[in-house]
Amino acid sequence: MSAAAIRTHSLSRQLIGGVLLAELLCAALFSVVAIGHEMHGRRRAFDVMLRGRADSLLGAVQDAEDPEDNVTVDPTELALPAQDVYEVLNPAGRVLGHSPGSSANLLAALSSSRAPGTFNFRVGRERYRGVRFEGVRVIDREENGGYRRPVTVLYAAPTWYLWREAVEAVQFYLIASALLLAVTGIALVWFLRRRLSPLQELAEIAGRVSTRSWEFVPPAVVLRTAELAPIALSMEELLKGLQLAFERQRRLTGDAAHELKTSIAVLKSSLQLLSMSPRTAEQYEAGLEGLLLDTERMEELTGRMLTLARLEEAPAEQSELCDLQMVVREVVERLRPLAELKQIALDVNAAEARAVAMPAGDADMLCSNLIVNALQHSAANGRVSVVVQTLDGITQLRVSDQGDGIPESALPHVFERFYRADRSRSRASGGAGLGLSICKAIVERAGGTIQIHSERGTGTEVTVILPARQSMAQN
Amino acid sequence: MRVLVVEDEVRLANNIAEALRERCGFAVDCAEDGTDGAAMTEFKHYDLLLLDLMLPGLDGLSIVRQVRRRKDMTPILILTARDQPAQVVELLNAGADDYLTKPFDLGELLARAKALIRRGKGAPQPELTVGRISLNTVEQTVRCAGELIDLSPTEYRLLEYLIFRPRAIVSARELLEHLYDYNWQHHSNVIEAHVSNLRKKLRAVGEETTIATLRGRGYRLEAPEQQL
Repeated sequence: MSAAAIRTHSLSRQLIGGVLLAELLCAALFSVVAIGHEMHGRRRAFDVMLRGRADSLLGAVQDAEDPEDNVTVDPTELALPAQDVYEVLNPAGRVLGHSPGSSANLLAALSSSRAPGTFNFRVGRERYRGVRFEGVRVIDREENGGYRRPVTVLYAAPTWYLWREAVEAVQFYLIASALLLAVTGIALVWFLRRRLSPLQELAEIAGRVSTRSWEFVPPAVVLRTAELAPIALSMEELLKGLQLAFERQRRLTGDAAHELKTSIAVLKSSLQLLSMSPRTAEQYEAGLEGLLLDTERMEELTGRMLTLARLEEAPAEQSELCDLQMVVREVVERLRPLAELKQIALDVNAAEARAVAMPAGDADMLCSNLIVNALQHSAANGRVSVVVQTLDGITQLRVSDQGDGIPESALPHVFERFYRADRSRSRASGGAGLGLSICKAIVERAGGTIQIHSERGTGTEVTVILPARQSMAQN
Repeated sequence: MRVLVVEDEVRLANNIAEALRERCGFAVDCAEDGTDGAAMTEFKHYDLLLLDLMLPGLDGLSIVRQVRRRKDMTPILILTARDQPAQVVELLNAGADDYLTKPFDLGELLARAKALIRRGKGAPQPELTVGRISLNTVEQTVRCAGELIDLSPTEYRLLEYLIFRPRAIVSARELLEHLYDYNWQHHSNVIEAHVSNLRKKLRAVGEETTIATLRGRGYRLEAPEQQL
């Protein structure tokens, strides 16, 4: 998936959004509770007021002065709001009186309530709250103890202004919380931006890293941030390692190019020199001989470079076994003439050794590289000894010489490719600084380790440790 | 002219030395490592230093710095197998005069070597003249009023060295140092013999320009006043 296809989320934007949403919810909840609380109080006051008005209506019930001795309602002396609606019924259900300005369906809706107590209803878009109660009106108390007239009073008033009043009452709180929301929102954005700036700085610095510019210095503010410090530190370490590996690789390619170019320069200059002016047959012959030697050296160099590449590219095959003892004996016999030529004693001690998981060709290359190295670094009348033994499941190959040893400063680098502790000498002996690198690659491919110990003036010992397999006899 | 080649690849050094001797008539010394090379530059015998960049002991860049720190103006040509611009810039800034990347063309190397020596001695053209004599450093020929003078290689080298510094006194020791390499046994009377032969050959073509011997001090190429 391409990077462009991934939708990115801004951490700071999400955080700000989340916190603002939580604040908004809090403010909304607070407003709802405040309005609810206010409404509750107002509704109770409303109920009391309803009851009061209804009671005052009861007071308006009087004798109708008619033959049936009926009662009637005369609210003319009462100052009741025009939008209120009421009805007074006698126990038989007959309407004794109702609000004068009310429409028929409003009155019908009012009288639809049968249970005593408060009730709500709506007519059209208008909401009403009403009360129904049974009352007894005593008429003409002064005359003969009075007449007791039971009546039912239904009284309702619109509630729309209740809402408006409640909202007006909590308006201050609503405005205050909205302001608070805005102020904290701005403060939050500022604060989060500020607090998250180390993250942005880290991202910016990390974004600048490339194979050309490895510089990654986490700013102090990032290192002071507990969450970011581990990321920054591990990135720093990782990049340092990568840079080293990259530079090593670059140096290696450069070294390989240097070696090859130098070899080609030798060939080219030899050819050009030969063709610069007419030569005698003997001169041509000598020139050709030199060219052949140069070509052979170049062949060896490319061969070694390819060997190394093959050893490092190909996956390790553990199946192939070889008898290290036998290989050592073969290599020693092959190199004995060289040792005799240089008057160096070549000892072999290869008594008990089990097979190792290594292709025979590789084992041969390993042994001959190590022994030739030892011979090259030995003076006349010196001694090179080769020991192969299996102990506790590991097979050891030790090649030691009594040469000058390797300078301490060079020891850590001897396995690096194209590294030559003493370039002029190695060049003279035809090496390109690849021998020990090849040995290391062979050994590591077989799952072993290679170490070098050296002391100036005493000599050098290379120790190869390989996991031992079952012996060849059992195999 | 005498050239120092510092190159650890012996075959390459020998090829370069051979070509310089054969085609330019220069005396050439070779050093296999940087330390020896740096030590040899201290004698100031050389008219050109040819340095490999990657050397055991001391690298080419360090030698360039050493030489320039001594206020030694000897031209320096660097041979390198790496041609990263940054490295070239560093080299030239350190005081190297020119560079060639390996593998190079031997002919180009010789041409650059000659050009550097020429320019180091203040002559931008390959042809130098004194009086009626003109010396062509490319063809290695000497003519007097257009007529070819037949000179031996040593006589040519002697005249070439002197013609770069007309009217200056050049000691026999300096001539020995700049015309012969270390493989030569130094005898100052060798110079005297060659100078004498050269003088005779110049006189034979009727040239008034001559080489004067100043006893105990050296030699001087002298031309008639108005012709110089």
